[in-house]
Parts: sequence; structure tokens; C-alpha cells
Amino acid sequence: MAQKGARPYDRIGEQVFAKVDKINAELFTLTYGSIVTQLVKDYEDLGEVNTQLEKMGYNIGVRLIEEFLARSNVGRCADFTETAEVVAKVGFKMFLGITANVTDWDAEKKEFSLVLDDNPLTEFVELPESYNKLWYANILCGVIRGALEMVQMKVEATYVKCVLHGHDASEIRVVLKEILTDEIPASMRDE
Amino acid sequence: MGIKVVCASVIGKSNNPLYIRCFDSTEEALKFHYIVHSALDVVEEKSTAKKGASLDLYLGMLYPTEDYRVYGYTTNSKIKFIIVVQEDGDSHDQAIKNFFRKFHVLYANTVANPFYTPDDLITSRKFNEELEKQVKTV
Repeated sequence: MAQKGARPYDRIGEQVFAKVDKINAELFTLTYGSIVTQLVKDYEDLGEVNTQLEKMGYNIGVRLIEEFLARSNVGRCADFTETAEVVAKVGFKMFLGITANVTDWDAEKKEFSLVLDDNPLTEFVELPESYNKLWYANILCGVIRGALEMVQMKVEATYVKCVLHGHDASEIRVVLKEILTDEIPASMRDE
Repeated sequence: MGIKVVCASVIGKSNNPLYIRCFDSTEEALKFHYIVHSALDVVEEKSTAKKGASLDLYLGMLYPTEDYRVYGYTTNSKIKFIIVVQEDGDSHDQAIKNFFRKFHVLYANTVANPFYTPDDLITSRKFNEELEKQVKTV
């Protein structure tokens, strides 16, 4: 697995993280927790809650990407593998303060897994017994989908493992569906 | 170590038990439930007597029984922690205070769970496991 591009992204991630404003972690965790519990009360069907979280994440992602591009100064990614590294090392670091690991590429380099060892969203959270279908931090899947769509990549992101379900790390599977090439006219692209 | 925590409990605002766990399998749990319940009276007495004392939280020894001693700790949100310990000889006040502090932090972390409503019974597995660990290292 080519690790050449990986180290600079770690450093970029940390530099950007140092520059951005920070918020109290507990406040963030509790806010997200109350969003999830409210959704559970409103929708009652856990599958529906997952969908809603993903939609919310999508709306966040399409806006967040602008902030990301403005602050991080990361240039165009040569290919999808680089995109994955940037998302994991710079994106996650900048907004959540954690770095994710990119693993499990498929043969065609169109799918990968993002492994998160700890996640501020799930701090202190314990899922009750009957909530097995709930992907608590599903908002992250939406954020990834929304953000990448704005840079011409149509992806699907889904949770496959979650620490709240007893696994030792959380894992999001990201699949590239297509690259949207006709969206932006050449004159508006910057090199 | 001279101390053995045989029972730890969390009591809610209206003196409703939120959590009672006994760590001594030789004794009947009911006996501890009774001890904790009677300790609540002493807690009431101590908390109304002190006015504006800075060390409100730790209430000290509530009362001794033949084999055990009962200690209490209250929070500003009227949540009370009561523990029953088996000690030999001198009282290890500092260790008890430390235990209560960690117990309090553990409780706060459990309350932070968005799926837990305050004043509910505490059924968190993490809480149980952590408490066991703390009891062993008192």
C-alpha cells in the first residue's frame, strides 16, 4: 500500500487543526446526543432515524466542504486514493480532532474503509439493548457524501462497524459510485 | 488494604434508590438495602445542619454498625452516594474521599449518556464494570 502521500497529510491535518476555533467537547457530545434521542422519539423507527441522520449529514457536508477547502489549502487530489487520505487525515482532524485510518481498498481502488478508533460524538454513550439497528454517528456518513459530491465525486458511505455495538473500532465503508465530470464548466475550474 | 467496600448505592433526589450493588456475596443483599435506607435519615440530618460549609459534598461517617461503617456523600443536585465498608481499626478517611470523588465522576459520565434520563434506575453496563474496578482498587 503506497504510504508516500500519507505523512504530509498528517502534518497538514495537525497544522489546520491548530488554526481553527475549538469548542468544548462535552457540549458537542451532549448536543449531538440530544439530536439523536429527539430523532428517536420523533421517528420511532430506527431505520428512519439512520436515514434522517444521513440526510442531516449531507446538508452539513455540502456546506462544510467550502470551509475545508478555504482553510486547508489542499490542492486537487490526483486520484481517489488521495481523496481518501485527505478525508481521513485532514478532514476528520480539522473538524473532529481525530484522525481516521484508510484501510481495505478493493482491487479497483473504488472502495475503502475509514476506521475510527475514537469518536467524540460517541463519548459517554451507551446504546440500550433494543437499539441494535441504530448507527449512532450516521451523520458522518452523510457529511462524507455531501462533501465529496461538491468536489465531483458521487459516493455512498455506510457504517459497517460501531464501537457502540461492541466492535473495537468504528468503520465506515465509502464506495465511489461515479465521478461527476460535466458539472462545472472548464472556465470555472482552478488548477 | 484495610478497607473493603461491601455495598455502594446511588440515591436520587426524592430518596428513591437509583442503584444499589452489593459486593459481598456472603451477606444477604436485603440487609444492606436496610442499612442504606436507615442511613438516609442521617444524611438528611447532616445536610440540613450544615449551612454554607465548603466541604458540603463529603458527609463523613454516617453511623457505625457492628461489622460495618456507613459513609455518605451528597451532590448539589441532591443525588446521594452511600457506601457501606468493612474496615479494620483506623478509618481511612482520605481513601474514602478519593473513592467518592471517583464514584461521582463515574456517575457524571453515566448521566452524560443521551439515552439515560436523570432519576432513572442506572442500568449501564459500563457503570457496573467501572464501579467493580474502583471497588477492587480502593
